[in-house]
Amino acid sequence: MSYELVAGLETHIELSTKTKIFCNCTTEFGGEPNTHCCPICIGLPGTLPKLNKNVVKYAVKAGLATNCSIRNISKMDRKNYVYPDLPKAYQISQFDKPLCENGYISLSTGKNINITRIHIEEDAGKLVHQRGDTYIDYNRGGVPLVEIVTEPDFRSIDEVVEYIEKLRLIMKYIGVSDVKMQEGSLRCDVNISVRKYGDNDLGIRTEIKNMNSLSFIAKAMEYEFNRQIDIIENGGIIEQETRRYNSDLNITESMRKKEDADDYRYFRDPDLVTISIMDEQIQQIKNELPELPSVKLKRFVEDYNLPIQDAELLVKYKKVAEYFEEACIKIENHKVVSNFILSQIFRTLSTETEKEDFNILIPPSYLNELVKLTETKKINSSLARITLEKMLETGKPLSEFITEKHLQGIDENTLKSICEKAVLANEKAVNEYLNGKEKAFGSIIGYIMKETKGNADAALATEIIKTIIS
Amino acid sequence: MITRDDILKIAKLSKLSIEDEEIEALTKDMAEIIQFADTINTAVEDENMEFDNISNIINAFHEDEVIESFDSDLILKNRDGGEDGYFLVKRRSVN
Amino acid sequence: MVTSKIRYINNLLNKKEISCTELTNKYLEKIQEENKNLNAYVKVTEEEALIVAKKVDEKISSKGHLMPLEGIPMTLKDNISTKNIETTCCSKILKGYVPIYDATVWETLKSQNAVLLGKSNMDEFAMGSSCETSCFGGALNPHNLKHVAGGSSGGVSSAVGGNIAVYGLGSDTGGSIRQPASFCGLVGLKPTYGAVSRYGLIAYASSFDQIGPIAHTVEDAAIIHDTISLYDKKDATSCANKGIMTADKLNDSIKGKKIGIAKEYFEGIRDDVKESILQAIKIYEDLGAEIIYFELPELKYSLSVYYILACAEASSNLGRYDGIRYGYKASHYNDLNEMICKTRSEGFGKEVKRRILLGTYVLSAGYYDAYYKKAQKLRGTLVRAFKNAFTKCDVILAPTVPMTAFELNFTSIDPVETYLTDICTVPVNIAGLPAVSIPCGFDSNGLPIGMQIIGNSFEEHKILNIAYQYEKQVGDKIYKNIELGVKL
Ligand SMILES: [Mg+2]
Ligand SMILES: [Zn+2]
Repeated sequence: MSYELVAGLETHIELSTKTKIFCNCTTEFGGEPNTHCCPICIGLPGTLPKLNKNVVKYAVKAGLATNCSIRNISKMDRKNYVYPDLPKAYQISQFDKPLCENGYISLSTGKNINITRIHIEEDAGKLVHQRGDTYIDYNRGGVPLVEIVTEPDFRSIDEVVEYIEKLRLIMKYIGVSDVKMQEGSLRCDVNISVRKYGDNDLGIRTEIKNMNSLSFIAKAMEYEFNRQIDIIENGGIIEQETRRYNSDLNITESMRKKEDADDYRYFRDPDLVTISIMDEQIQQIKNELPELPSVKLKRFVEDYNLPIQDAELLVKYKKVAEYFEEACIKIENHKVVSNFILSQIFRTLSTETEKEDFNILIPPSYLNELVKLTETKKINSSLARITLEKMLETGKPLSEFITEKHLQGIDENTLKSICEKAVLANEKAVNEYLNGKEKAFGSIIGYIMKETKGNADAALATEIIKTIIS
Repeated sequence: MITRDDILKIAKLSKLSIEDEEIEALTKDMAEIIQFADTINTAVEDENMEFDNISNIINAFHEDEVIESFDSDLILKNRDGGEDGYFLVKRRSVN
Repeated sequence: MVTSKIRYINNLLNKKEISCTELTNKYLEKIQEENKNLNAYVKVTEEEALIVAKKVDEKISSKGHLMPLEGIPMTLKDNISTKNIETTCCSKILKGYVPIYDATVWETLKSQNAVLLGKSNMDEFAMGSSCETSCFGGALNPHNLKHVAGGSSGGVSSAVGGNIAVYGLGSDTGGSIRQPASFCGLVGLKPTYGAVSRYGLIAYASSFDQIGPIAHTVEDAAIIHDTISLYDKKDATSCANKGIMTADKLNDSIKGKKIGIAKEYFEGIRDDVKESILQAIKIYEDLGAEIIYFELPELKYSLSVYYILACAEASSNLGRYDGIRYGYKASHYNDLNEMICKTRSEGFGKEVKRRILLGTYVLSAGYYDAYYKKAQKLRGTLVRAFKNAFTKCDVILAPTVPMTAFELNFTSIDPVETYLTDICTVPVNIAGLPAVSIPCGFDSNGLPIGMQIIGNSFEEHKILNIAYQYEKQVGDKIYKNIELGVKL
């Protein structure tokens, strides 16, 4: 008998506002323990919260970018539960009137994952357990979150992974979060159940809490999927409970059963006032939204004639996509631009973060000039490659490496044969150079310049000679 | 009617431990209080009873500008400066 | 004639007939003598008071003129946070807690060099009507030490009534300013919800709590209210002040003003209390006011609505006392959960626990709709009923309490019996309205009787004007036991 996986996701994303959701402490990650705190965010008696204006704005952005409708009238509620990381013994969140509702994200297959709601709430502090003692740091307490809840629409782990990647990219594009998973600014709870193919009813679900790595999420889901099937196959019943993923053992383990402690006694927070957003304000925020990744991808494929895989790689990093577009101005074959970026430039950026930051030395106009030269066949591809490499190393423009004479000039094959001739004719200099006498190289180049009446690209010639003699 | 078990359940939610000898008197008191609270259920509900909030204010926000946080010494002041900058709860009391 | 005690002292200071240091010392000495009996103060802040007094004296000699509250010795209820001064809410669970910030009202008064004599006694977390739930024991009534000073701001009324503070700030969630003021023959003003910042007021029930003054005279209350009713950006529910200074309006004529009488306020009221208020109505008629009689049947749900909603909020507000960050912490436990439960069970008193349990109950799954939600709807009904009433009249006149100050231990017997005594005060808190309690006579034991004048939102100037005109007329008789001057 084969089983189908059914999953829904609750994703918490930390917003990148400057200050916390209810006070003016910084949201900066890390810091010495309890140094990003004030009476409000450690819940001292008598303190009152006041909502951060940008939290509302950012959440509306997140909602609009995921096709949600935005509520005109909203409010904050208290979710009551006692835990040491929650200094007021309640989390200020939203219960029955979330800011955003009824959205979706489309997967590459064309399937939509429906978003039930997006609401705003405060993050909790951090607990460090040592020898059974509990150390508490409230720096993260009060950092604003959006919680994005989906319908149980996922049918495979791949869908979940793609959804999270898409969600991350959207949030990054619209600038509401830096979504650094390693810093925990995106965390997922996965609701998961199984059923026999063809069944319409949902099985009993378990919830795997608080995962902040894509590979852990995939592994945890796979384990949990198989665990549930095993239980059912052996005639058992799944227990509704909260579980956690243990990455050391690659298993999920029970955290707590569903019980009275889940009675959160939600009620409206009397310390906070009604949130009212007019349609005009929503429209204005909508107008300010940048082009979303899905739209950009479509455009890159259609307007620039790129293969989808290439377009995806470019769109994956907002700065890269922007760079690409600038480098494409007045160029016919955009694939050449894309190739330079995806192969040669990406090779110099080893990590994801480096690609994201895209701190390279040359502006897109330099690459644009270079590609134009190749398009007009003024330089050949290997010269272009070498030149780009030098530009990337030095940050200097094309003109530093390619002269007028070059452009009139000697094609690479001719230069190659002249170089070969030069090596044969300067045996002494070659040997001296190979024995470490750098200066000897100059006389080889001098020979080439004489032969070509100065038309050769010295840099290219140097490269060629080095390959010949090495 | 509120029962002993109800009391124990809400005590657990409230993080209060009720001693055995307290529970009978407490159940009686609570029953009386809840009976008194029940007066409201004699009121006839009409359509226009919805009530939102006692404050008529909308949109009171703080600006997203950082104000320097408190010294951690002050944050931890009521716990004798804490432990290495942290609030600390020992696993169990040392007797 | 009754005058403002604050203006009287301000005048003495300005004229250098007494220095602020002398004045402060006199009060401190008197506290030494009398607080043993009254138990009004739970902490005396002698050192801080004398530092400010010295500062005030320096200002008099250099600049000469003082603002009205400058140098006036006063007290704060012990649920108002004071930086570096222990603030306990008279609960074991907060013993030793020292705030690291000032409540906004105290920041305001501090900036005007108010002389804080000490923190005053109260019912634990303001939950009570007699001050007897205080972990320090109750504050006593200066008119008769066998009676309570009222609650929950009993320490303030005891101190002001006993002339060991010129005035004090209390908080009123269901009558906690007006009832003790009434019991001690004082003026107590509960401002409109949102008029005075709650920032730094340790919450009992957030949508009901308001800080306000207890003072000797209406003018005093007006002066204090005008000083503290400011917009505070730290409190999202704080309202911008409309710019009306109530003290400027006290002398307005009340001829033709409509005073409303709702018959429900007089049901189950002790005869002598009722009689005093009928007398007051006559005086108002003599002053040219028009008396309007109407019914407010919605009032009958107000007590239940109040206890359900206030306790629901309290159960959430008091969740934070877990022993981790401040205050009392249990000394014997085997795990974290036990530490929290023991801390709370040992730290909270009986009445507080009862209200937490009730609040948890009415919010819990299965009961929310029948209690919390229903009560919230009835709150709306009451808000609209008052709104409607104020289309017919300018103010409503009612008793403050159905009786006079309780004898000691009256409230410890039956909780519901005690809740019933709040019948006249809670409607105002439910509807967020302003109300002032002023003395209007004495019972046969010489205990003061109070009446309250209730106004529409942000019409403190109207209720104080109407209160003042009454006080001007009969104050000399009604205030006979009050020592208005300072014995020099
Ligand atoms: Mg959440
Ligand atoms: Zn803070």
